[in-house]
Amino acid sequence: MGQLSLKNVVKTFGDFEVVKGVSLDVHEGEFMVFVGPSGCGKSTLLRMIAGLEHTTDGDIVIDGKRVNDLAPVKRGIAMVFQSYALYPHMSVYENIAFPLRVERAPEDEIRKKVEAAAAILHLESRLKQKPGNLSGGQRQRVAIGRAIVREPEIFLFDEPLSNLDAALRADMRLELTRLHKQLGATMVYVTHDQVEAMTMADRIVVLNGGYIAQVGAPLELYHKPQNTFVAGFIGNPRMNFMPVKCVAVSDTGAEIDFNGQKLTIAVDVPADQRTALIGTKVTLGIRPEHIAIGPGDAVMTIRPTVIEHLGQQTLGYAALPDREENFCFVLTGTQIIKDDQDIQVSFSAADCHLFDVDGNAFERSVELSAMTVPAQT
Amino acid sequence: MALKLFKKDQTRAMIDRYSWAELVGIYVGIALFLFFMLAPFIEGFLVSLKPLAQLFSSPYSFLPENGSFEAYRTMWVSVPSFGRYIFNSLLISTIATIIVLILVVPAAYAFARFKFKGMAMVLAAFLAVSMFSGAVLLIPLFRLMRTLGLLNTYFAMIVPGAAFLIPSAIWLLRTYMMRIPIELNEAAYMDGASQFYTFRRVILPIARPGIIVVAIMTFIGAYAQQFIFALTFNSKTEFMPLPVGLFAYFGKQEVIWNELMAASFVGIAPAMVIIFFLQRYLVGGLTAGAIKQ
Repeated sequence: MGQLSLKNVVKTFGDFEVVKGVSLDVHEGEFMVFVGPSGCGKSTLLRMIAGLEHTTDGDIVIDGKRVNDLAPVKRGIAMVFQSYALYPHMSVYENIAFPLRVERAPEDEIRKKVEAAAAILHLESRLKQKPGNLSGGQRQRVAIGRAIVREPEIFLFDEPLSNLDAALRADMRLELTRLHKQLGATMVYVTHDQVEAMTMADRIVVLNGGYIAQVGAPLELYHKPQNTFVAGFIGNPRMNFMPVKCVAVSDTGAEIDFNGQKLTIAVDVPADQRTALIGTKVTLGIRPEHIAIGPGDAVMTIRPTVIEHLGQQTLGYAALPDREENFCFVLTGTQIIKDDQDIQVSFSAADCHLFDVDGNAFERSVELSAMTVPAQT
Repeated sequence: MALKLFKKDQTRAMIDRYSWAELVGIYVGIALFLFFMLAPFIEGFLVSLKPLAQLFSSPYSFLPENGSFEAYRTMWVSVPSFGRYIFNSLLISTIATIIVLILVVPAAYAFARFKFKGMAMVLAAFLAVSMFSGAVLLIPLFRLMRTLGLLNTYFAMIVPGAAFLIPSAIWLLRTYMMRIPIELNEAAYMDGASQFYTFRRVILPIARPGIIVVAIMTFIGAYAQQFIFALTFNSKTEFMPLPVGLFAYFGKQEVIWNELMAASFVGIAPAMVIIFFLQRYLVGGLTAGAIKQ
C-alpha cells in the first residue's frame, strides 16, 4: 500500500494563500516529482503531506484514510530533509536507529534493521562515525537510512540533492532511482531542478503560484505542455515564444502568418472555437533545440549577440525586435558561427507549439507513444 | 621583520601580519591591561607570605623578606571554623546553580522554540528584573524572609541568589538554543518522537556546551553575590559563607592581614577547581554535521 490522494488542499499563512486548491492522486509505488519555481508552494505541499504543516482546507488521504489530523509517524510516512537534519551528537548507527529507539524496538531487531539499511546505502564502514566526519553525499545517505529503517509506505524528499555538488548530485540521482526500484515504495520528491524531475520521475507535477499547472509523464510535459508556463519551465534553455497571427483553421491544424510566411501547425482546435480564432493573435512556441541553420519550413534572419560554444552544443542568443526576451537557439556540435553577424536559421512546422491569448496550448496532433518510452507493465 | 619569537611572516595569513611597531604596541597594551587586572592578586599573595610585623614597616617593601607560608597554617588555628565557611560557600553556590539549571534549561528551550502570547513581554520582564541588583531589594526581601520565618537558614541565602541569576541565564541559554536548527526538531517529530523525548535525546546533548557556560556563569555569580544576602539574612556563625567568614580575621585590635589574604586564596581555590573541571566539557562545534550551513 502507499496510495496518496490530495483533495482540493489549501494552505494559507495569515492572509497569504500559498497552496490554492490542489487535487492529485499519487499511485502506489509511483515516483512523483513536484517541480516549480521558488515560492510556488511545492515545499509547503510536501510539508502538509508530511504532517509538519496544518492543512487549512481540503483532505489528505492515504490508503483511503483521511490523515489531516494524524501525526507523521501514524501516516506511514518518512521524510528526508534538504538540510539532512542529522543528530550531530549521535553516531551514524544511532542516527539510523533513532526512529526504532523511539518505538522502543528490541536491541537485536534494531541492529538487524540498521545493518540492512546501511547495506542498501553502502554505509557499513561508517556506522561508528559522527555526521561531522562525513561528506555531503554520505550525510545525505544517512538521512535516507533514517527514513528507510522504519519501512514506511511513502517517502517524502524535500530537495534532497540541492546541497550537493554537481557530480555528486548525478551519482545520488542514480542511487535514488535504484533505491526506488529496490524498495518499490511510493516516493514524493520536491525539487526546483528540472533535470532531477525529468530523469527520476514517473510523473511530474508542475506547480505555479499555488496551482497545478500540469501533471504528466516527463516526456508528455516536454512534447505536449498544456500552457506557456509548463512549456517555458520544462526544457532548458527555455522555449522561444513569438506572437503570430492566425489566418485559417482547418481539421489539419491552424494556419498562421509568421513574418509573412504561411505555416500550418498541426494542432487540434475545437470546432466551436475555430471561427473566433481566425484573425486573432496567438503565441507560437519553438524550442531552441529545434532550430537549425539554413532553410526550412519557417526561415528567419537573426543576429546573435552572444554565442556560447560548449563543444557538444553551440548556443546562441539574439535580440528580436519588440521582444524583451532573447531568442535562443541550440545547435548540435561545434558550429563555426560568430556573434554580431547575420545568420539564417529555420525550424520545422512539426516542432511548433501553439498557445491562445490566455497561454493555454492547443493540443498538438502528435502521437505521444511515438516519442515516449513505452510504459512499463 | 617581527621578532623571531613569532611565526614567520611567510606562514602567516596576510590579515594576521603586523609591523614591528604594531606588535610592540599590542603587547605593551596587553601587559598594561594585565598589570591592572592582576596587581591586587599579586599584592595579596605577597602579603600572605609576609609576617604581620613587616606589613606595617616603613619604608614598605613589596617583596617579602624571609617570607614563608606560615600564614597558610596559622589561619586554620586563629579561625577554626574556616573550613566550614568554605563548605557553606560551595554548598550555597552549588545548590543555587542546580536550582537555576533545573529551571532555566526547560525555560530557555520553551523561549527558543515555542511561540506563545506574551512571550516578548515575559522576556522583557526578565531583562528588567536583572537590571535590579539584589541590593536594591534587600529590605523588602528581609521583611519577606522575616515574615516567613526563614532568616538564619541556608534557604534565605540560596533562593534570592538563584532568583536573581535566572533572568540572565535564560537569555544566555535561549540565544544558544535558538542556534540549534529547527530541522532537528522536525526530523525527530517525523520519526515519532514526542516533544519531551526530542528535548531529552536531541536538544539537551547538543545544548551541553551552552548549559555548561550557564552553569559556570551561575556558579560564579552565586559565589560572588552570596556576601550581601549572607550579611543581611544570616547571623548564625555556622551558616556563614566564605566572604562573611573572612570578617573573623578582623580582630578587636587589629586585622590579621596576612592570614586574611591566605584565607582568601585558599577560599577561592575550590571554586577555581570546579570551574576548571566544568571548562573541560566546553567543546565547541557540537552541531557540526547536523545540517548544511
